[in-house]
Amino acid sequence: MLKGIGVEKRFGGLTAVTSLDFEIFDGEIVGMIGPNGSGKTTLFNLISGLFKLDKGAIDFQGFRISGLPPYKVAKLGIGRTFQIVRPLMELSLLENVTTAVLYGSSGLHEVDVARDMAMNILKFTGLDSKFRNFPGELGIEGRKRLEIARALGSKPKILLLDEVFAGMNSKEIEGAIELTFRIRDEYRITVFMIEHVMKAIMTACDRVIALRHGVKIADGPPEQVANDPEVIRAYLGESYAKN
Amino acid sequence: MAHGNDRSGFYRVKLILVGIIFVLGVYPWLAPPVYFISFAFNVLTYITLATSWNIIGGYTGYLSFGHVAFFGIGAYATAVLGARLDLGPALVILASLPAGVVSALVAVVIGYPCLRLRGPYFAVITLCFAFVTELTVRNLDFLGGADGLWIKGLAMPIETSRSIFFELMLVLTVVCLSSAHWIETSRFGAGLRAIREDEEVAQTMAINTPKLKIMAFAVSAFFPGVAGGIYACYLTYIHPDIVFDVNISILIVLMALFGGGASWVGPLVGATLLTFVNEGLSTFVKAEFARIIYGCLFIIVIIFMPNGIVEFLKNLIVKRRLRTKFVKNKSSQLLS
Repeated sequence: MLKGIGVEKRFGGLTAVTSLDFEIFDGEIVGMIGPNGSGKTTLFNLISGLFKLDKGAIDFQGFRISGLPPYKVAKLGIGRTFQIVRPLMELSLLENVTTAVLYGSSGLHEVDVARDMAMNILKFTGLDSKFRNFPGELGIEGRKRLEIARALGSKPKILLLDEVFAGMNSKEIEGAIELTFRIRDEYRITVFMIEHVMKAIMTACDRVIALRHGVKIADGPPEQVANDPEVIRAYLGESYAKN
Repeated sequence: MAHGNDRSGFYRVKLILVGIIFVLGVYPWLAPPVYFISFAFNVLTYITLATSWNIIGGYTGYLSFGHVAFFGIGAYATAVLGARLDLGPALVILASLPAGVVSALVAVVIGYPCLRLRGPYFAVITLCFAFVTELTVRNLDFLGGADGLWIKGLAMPIETSRSIFFELMLVLTVVCLSSAHWIETSRFGAGLRAIREDEEVAQTMAINTPKLKIMAFAVSAFFPGVAGGIYACYLTYIHPDIVFDVNISILIVLMALFGGGASWVGPLVGATLLTFVNEGLSTFVKAEFARIIYGCLFIIVIIFMPNGIVEFLKNLIVKRRLRTKFVKNKSSQLLS
């Protein structure tokens, strides 16, 4: 469904992503892990078109998307959230999601109809009771849910979640994991997520990709990747990887 | 229940607005002094300018400091069209419509490169654009150069002709305000607001931001263009010093921000109030003092009412309502 071939991105002398190949299949929940600065968010920015690739290509459903501006990529059905949440602060929750619906691939151009659909999405993400509120009045969990709601508003085929679970307590994480499953099962959306919270990775993901310094070091089922010596070395250093 | 209340309130507001428009429309025919008609004409012109500025400045968040250029372009386009096609006085007025289109086209051409810039950069480059336009007009002989241009006036008493121009400007103002209101509640407006809040996020929401920005800029240049055309016919003489006056650019921005940029009501209130204040000050105080007072007033508003006077009053009313509700609840608790 989403496929990267030899993706490369340099910032001056630093190569953030080095000839990376990856593929996400329809209906999967794929996690991406890696220490800070390993190029995870850069990869998301490359996919969504906010950064331009230096080398390689990214295809979505057999269609070349690398080189397209972000709004065209989004229109094709790639939704995303931001690691540091970026709600539209002066718009209410309902307006945030309604705007996404109006411009997304659902093709709804009537504001009233779009508002009803946005309300359904807010209900789905558990924010419906606060639809009149503004993002500034939400806690971090609420804001993360809003990011997801807004991304769902565009009716994507694949959703890129950037550290949605960071900063949540364990109860909130359980809620968010459940939401991730429901996104795939009820909305039929493929999920590709960057995550540090191992509990989320281990329970939610069908497959995990591990990055280090912009290079893919592991790709497989969560248990296998978590025990991969290369991955342990990347996180904890040489001495822990021996056994 | 709340919904029903909203609806009836909505109709009441609509009725009041129609009433105001009707009274304004009848006003010049009640034979008031010409001065009052001219003053009212000025108020309407500024409402139109501030409202159209607000489409790019308030809704989209791109502060254009060169909007007078579109006003001037409209004025000159009307004059030139009238002279070239040798139109009669009544037809020259109609030429202000194509003149508005000319302004919008210029906005598309200028907006294409300039709308890539944000914040202060956009403000400065639009300011420069206004200066360059003014200098160009001043140095082109076929536009009258530094001598200005004459336009055929209506051959009738000044009261009647001014009344006619007033009515025309009233129509333009109403159309402009309705367009602004429509944009606010439409898909287009929702996209513009998303751009104002965070352009990158707007792009990931599949909003074609370059296209939307240019459309907004064109619309917000069209109405000043038409207004410039009507203004030119009203004055019967235009000169770069008059229709490209940089003070107009600044005044428009101040008016819109003074009232509040979030809704169409802001520029309407801001432009009306400030035109009155301006007129009052320049009649009763020396011009220099008038400017000082004017500046201070604006500083006060920016510091204490950053979202404009309309939002400020609205919040005040909401707070008072909440307080009375709270007091009522408390007292009923105490009683029971």
